[in-house]
Amino acid sequence: MQGRCAAGLLVCLLGLVSPAVFSGESGPCVVDDAERRVCLQAPARRIVSLSPGATELLFAAGAGEWIEGTVRYSDYPAAAKRIPRVGTHSRFDIEKLLALSPDLVVAWISGNPAEQVERLQALGMTVYYSEPRRFEDVSSTLERLGLLAGTTDVARTAIAEFNAAIDELEARYRDADPVPIFYQIWDDPLMTVNDSHLISQAIELCGGRNVFGAADRLVPRLDRESVLAAAPEAIVAGGMGEDDTGWLEAWERFPGFTAVRRGNLFFVPPSYIQRPTPRVAEGSRILCEHLETARGRR
Amino acid sequence: MVKLATRQLVIDIPARADGVPIDLDLCAGQVWGVLGPNGAGKTTLLHTLAGLREPRRGEVLLDGKPLPSLRRRSVARQLAVIFQDRQDSFPSTVLETAMIGRHPFLAPWDIETAEDVELARNALHRLQLDGLDNRQVSTLSGGERQRLAVATALTQTPRIWLADEPTNHLDLRYQVAVMGLMAEQAAAGRAVLVCLHDINLAARWCDHLLLLYPDGGACWGEAGAMLVPEALERLYGQPLTAAQVNGTRVFVPREVG
Amino acid sequence: MPRLFPPLLLLAGIAVAAMLLAVAVGSVSIPVAGLWAVVQGDGDQLHRTVVLELRVPRVLAAFATGGLLAVAGALMQVLLRNPLADPYVLGLSGGAAVGALSAMLLGLGAVMVPGSAFAGALVSTVLVFGIAHGTGSWTPTRLLLTGVVVAAGWGAVVTFMLVIGPTERIPGMLYWLMGDLAYARSPWPAMFVLALACLLIMPLGRSLNVLARGPLQAATLGVAVRPLEWSVYVAASVLTAAAVTTAGAIGFVGLIVPHMLRLLIGSDQRLILPASALAGGTLLVLADTLARTLIAPEQLPVGVITALLGVPTFLYLLYRSR
Repeated sequence: MQGRCAAGLLVCLLGLVSPAVFSGESGPCVVDDAERRVCLQAPARRIVSLSPGATELLFAAGAGEWIEGTVRYSDYPAAAKRIPRVGTHSRFDIEKLLALSPDLVVAWISGNPAEQVERLQALGMTVYYSEPRRFEDVSSTLERLGLLAGTTDVARTAIAEFNAAIDELEARYRDADPVPIFYQIWDDPLMTVNDSHLISQAIELCGGRNVFGAADRLVPRLDRESVLAAAPEAIVAGGMGEDDTGWLEAWERFPGFTAVRRGNLFFVPPSYIQRPTPRVAEGSRILCEHLETARGRR
Repeated sequence: MVKLATRQLVIDIPARADGVPIDLDLCAGQVWGVLGPNGAGKTTLLHTLAGLREPRRGEVLLDGKPLPSLRRRSVARQLAVIFQDRQDSFPSTVLETAMIGRHPFLAPWDIETAEDVELARNALHRLQLDGLDNRQVSTLSGGERQRLAVATALTQTPRIWLADEPTNHLDLRYQVAVMGLMAEQAAAGRAVLVCLHDINLAARWCDHLLLLYPDGGACWGEAGAMLVPEALERLYGQPLTAAQVNGTRVFVPREVG
Repeated sequence: MPRLFPPLLLLAGIAVAAMLLAVAVGSVSIPVAGLWAVVQGDGDQLHRTVVLELRVPRVLAAFATGGLLAVAGALMQVLLRNPLADPYVLGLSGGAAVGALSAMLLGLGAVMVPGSAFAGALVSTVLVFGIAHGTGSWTPTRLLLTGVVVAAGWGAVVTFMLVIGPTERIPGMLYWLMGDLAYARSPWPAMFVLALACLLIMPLGRSLNVLARGPLQAATLGVAVRPLEWSVYVAASVLTAAAVTTAGAIGFVGLIVPHMLRLLIGSDQRLILPASALAGGTLLVLADTLARTLIAPEQLPVGVITALLGVPTFLYLLYRSR
């Protein structure tokens, strides 16, 4: 790894000294989320996406029609469901992937097994490592994927829409009264997120305050008692599916709890807010409306 | 022609006083019997003589050299031990078991030769275990296993035999057969030492005796000199009656009136 | 004894057949003609890459790992004179697991995971042996009991690490714990250790036969018991560490393979040790082939398959034997 970085640096330095070194490169070049230079001979036309989020980002960047393979749970947009599968994000079939002879593999740093992705590189595949964590990362990933696929125009339109949606929410809720909320991403064990997570950024955008924002871990595990002690004004949860509100019902056995007394138990379809993709703008809008409802119930 | 000798030997039995240091010479052609009540240290003595246990004091010499100075392998080529207890954690056949007696004579890469197999087969035959070659040891009776242990030692072709209660589990006929084998080995120029709990077997087959007392006391010498009722009564804490049958002395417990 | 060779030749034949089968099947279907072309040094580029860079190294790694685990199990069973002993029961793989998971937790990267696993296995070895030795001498029961308790301790540490671990690393950690040959980088270190171990241990076969009958009996037959026991323990530890380092914690092979062989061909260690290497390798090659093809493109951890294949086979043999 270190050797590769040093070599990359050397190439950059040489590039600065004599641009002629790069004259052979005709295709696009970007820097991925692992700070590596990813260069293609020509725009990517056979792409494999190794996470549902990356698939969604590729579609948004205009490269959806060139995705030849993806992993389980790649369900958005509808066209993604027809793409052949190469396994799951945590373990994929390298042989199958090789048979697709991709010119670009979009990997997920924290989701894919490092050994397998390294093996793909060893087999000569071009890998783009992706790890969007903030709204800004969504935009920059769209930009880079658009560049790699030669679909910059589509990508820029998507970025403009996304940024406009976020800006609008930002403007509307900038001065809103803070609402302390608990965001539940899993039920058993009970799990939430801290302020480093995209969801917490959405909460902030809506003028909310994540009651566990200062927790040490990105995805802390909790017991119900600590949630009751944190006394959030609203509880927002995803669920096992896009319309499964079962997790919220579990809170109704605490009628004395502020969030329950005021009826502030809200549902946000998980894929809208848990995946770092342009749909997070829509997820944020739904969340913001819920928080506004909570403010109205004071 | 001394084979195995002890010099001022005190065996190590925890929490027992040193008692009498033992100086005995186990020579070719002799059959030594070790007598003593339970817990007197017969097995400990036998293990010490075989070099399997450190003595508390003194030393054991094999042909004049201290046992610890010899390699286990060269000791094993001269000295065989028949144990009271045997472990068979893993299944194995009768022939395989007898064949381990050849281990000291084979180099790591060697495979047993036809000659080795012949030795084992003869030993099995001598102990009347023929035809059981491929039987699993775990399916044998207690007496058959005991004879197999003797056959294994016989396959080892030792110059010195150390046998711990070799007649255990055996019915009379085989007791006689095994003791007869011991005597035959001695007659062929080997040295034999057997621990026994049956005075009459000792009286019938042994030419020398070592009496071990529970308090660490010991006395030894020719069988005729040792087989006196007073000494044996003190040894076992049991009144005895002695008789003479066909030239051999016989001891039976006496009712205490 | 010439009767050593027929079973070994048969097992070697089965092993080669299993490896050929494993190289022939996979998600990319390659016709026999295509395989033959690859063997001859040409053929389709995709076929060449799939066969030479993916399947062959993986099959070799599977064989080496299975062989290492089975030989380690056979050695441990003789050492402890207990058919229940295996590297897993003795806490070696627990130590390796803690080492590997620590590397994953600290984000040391994939390169460090095998090294930490190896270190963990050796730490566990020293710990178990040291504690079992205590102030006096160890007995097989004491060693086994120490191993079982240390293994339980490692188990708790593993659970703790899974709980405190970042959620996104959990799937990788679980796959490692179940054992998976997708981790195998190069088959050669494991192959080398297996070959070396076979060369060094095979001459000890007859001594181990004698040792299996108890330390006193072994000593009277000329075996230097303590040095032999140490060598066996160290060898079994290194073999386990090499296996765990290659493919994570794969259970059952070390316990089941030597047993099956004993039920089938008796317990002469000169036969059991090489036969374990061959049969253990074969079992893992077949299990891994199933793991990567059964529900392809999704991949199963090979440990699941070894258990699903091994447990019923073992129970059947055990049932039939009495």
